[in-house]
Amino acid sequence: MRFPVRQFARILAIVLIAGVACALLARFSPGATVDERELNPKAGEDTIAAWRADKQTGLTAGLANYFRGMAKGDLGYSESNHAPVAALIADRAGATLRELGIGLLGGWLVGLAFAIPAGRFQRASTYDALSAAGAAALLSLPAALIAYLCVLAGAAPAIVLMMVIAPRIFQFARNLLREAYRAPHVETARARGVSESRILWMHALPAAGPQLIALAAASVSIAIGAAIPAEAICDVPGLGRLAWQAAVARDLPLLVNLTMLVAVATTGAAMLSEAATKGKS
Amino acid sequence: MRLAAIGFLAAIAACAFTAGLWTHASYETQFREAPDAAPSAKFPLGTDALGRDRLSRLVYGTRVSLSLAPAAAGFSCAAAALLGGVAGWAGGFAEIAIMAAADLFLSLPWMFLLLLVRAWLPLNVPAGVSVAITFALLGALGWAAPARVVRAAVRKLRNSDFMLLAEAHGCTPWRLLWRQLIPNMKPILLAQFWIAVPAYILAETTLGMLGLGIAEPLPSWGGLLRELEGGDVVSRWWLLAPAVLLTAVTLSLQLLRPRQEHSL
Repeated sequence: MRFPVRQFARILAIVLIAGVACALLARFSPGATVDERELNPKAGEDTIAAWRADKQTGLTAGLANYFRGMAKGDLGYSESNHAPVAALIADRAGATLRELGIGLLGGWLVGLAFAIPAGRFQRASTYDALSAAGAAALLSLPAALIAYLCVLAGAAPAIVLMMVIAPRIFQFARNLLREAYRAPHVETARARGVSESRILWMHALPAAGPQLIALAAASVSIAIGAAIPAEAICDVPGLGRLAWQAAVARDLPLLVNLTMLVAVATTGAAMLSEAATKGKS
Repeated sequence: MRLAAIGFLAAIAACAFTAGLWTHASYETQFREAPDAAPSAKFPLGTDALGRDRLSRLVYGTRVSLSLAPAAAGFSCAAAALLGGVAGWAGGFAEIAIMAAADLFLSLPWMFLLLLVRAWLPLNVPAGVSVAITFALLGALGWAAPARVVRAAVRKLRNSDFMLLAEAHGCTPWRLLWRQLIPNMKPILLAQFWIAVPAYILAETTLGMLGLGIAEPLPSWGGLLRELEGGDVVSRWWLLAPAVLLTAVTLSLQLLRPRQEHSL
């Protein structure tokens, strides 16, 4: 029981610290205490004074209000989108989750599909060189450029995430599987005539399992990071595009909430992967 | 392959840093009579919509990336060496606090952190300031992963036989640090540096392509690649020149970095 409790406490602490840090950034950003509506010549003095009072909230009071609102599900208001942040996130989350799901699943399948033969046939140097060169070439392209190329080719945005994830999975899994296939018990199993598929499923993959599970959490974080340029360039109405628009429009309240949401997602994935690794070992 | 990569990078760096000697125009010179021109003898990669020579802009953009990405990588490695070193050497509260901060940085995807802090800073700044902001951000936000590696290595070295032996022979902590620990940390820091350089080049390119990188008129690979947006690259293949150069340079930098079996 101690492990999940400690992990939940860790996630909560990280998310709270991230939230406070983000709120501090928002509070002290240039122009944070100025409301652009003040430029409206039709606004009366009382209205302007009310806007200023609203913006001049003290730091502690501002933070307290923010967390009190959050407890009630009120994440604030996005000035650039003229909509409540909670509604915006709920509206856009579906597209991003779908894209992340397809991208991660595809990236893992493609990465492993190329890594397994490279790990199994260690003397197939041409295959290994070609697959490693392909992975290195993909790793040399920024996600934004891959997104442009996918737009030009008419490919789905999830392909961008697949192309970002797959080479990383390939490189890591290939090295792990190479080690696993070199293990003495695998050599013995092969000498005894055990089938290759049985060796893969019963010996090689279980040996590499804990480290591959640990990689799963890292791949979630990488995919979320790549979703920003992918959605911004492929014009997907998801959370990545929302984050980019918030950054360009300096809509810090929206960006703060998105950052905390991402912190929850990545630390949650890390916790699950850590729990699974502990279960395996 | 490594030698070829070194040769290629040296040639590109030489071209970029002597740009003023062989390009016929500065990156901001406008040829208003020839906007959006196709490649010709005068403009080998054509001109952009404002009539600026694309080759000059590509070469000057290369200079920006090739000089500032290593500077940012050096900065983040120095920070990682300091913080990771203190955490691994001192242990106790310092270690807990530094590693908690590293966990916090690592819990957020890098692009999110960059967007968050970049959005906090003014967007309409002079080009030179935007260069400094972009690469300072990369350097300042990239310390966490190398710091964890450094801390693990320092702890391992701290408990190694030769360090214990040196300590038992009366070596002072300062001498232990200076003569035993730091020389043994050099390969690890160098590896982290070579991992960071291509990562920072790619991050700057992505920021530039999203319009959050280096401000005009200063060219950068990310800014140059924004031209791909809405451009027909099948008939205007020369727009892909920055992408080809970027890929070749980052591929060469990947070849230079020490082989790490289990790293992303």
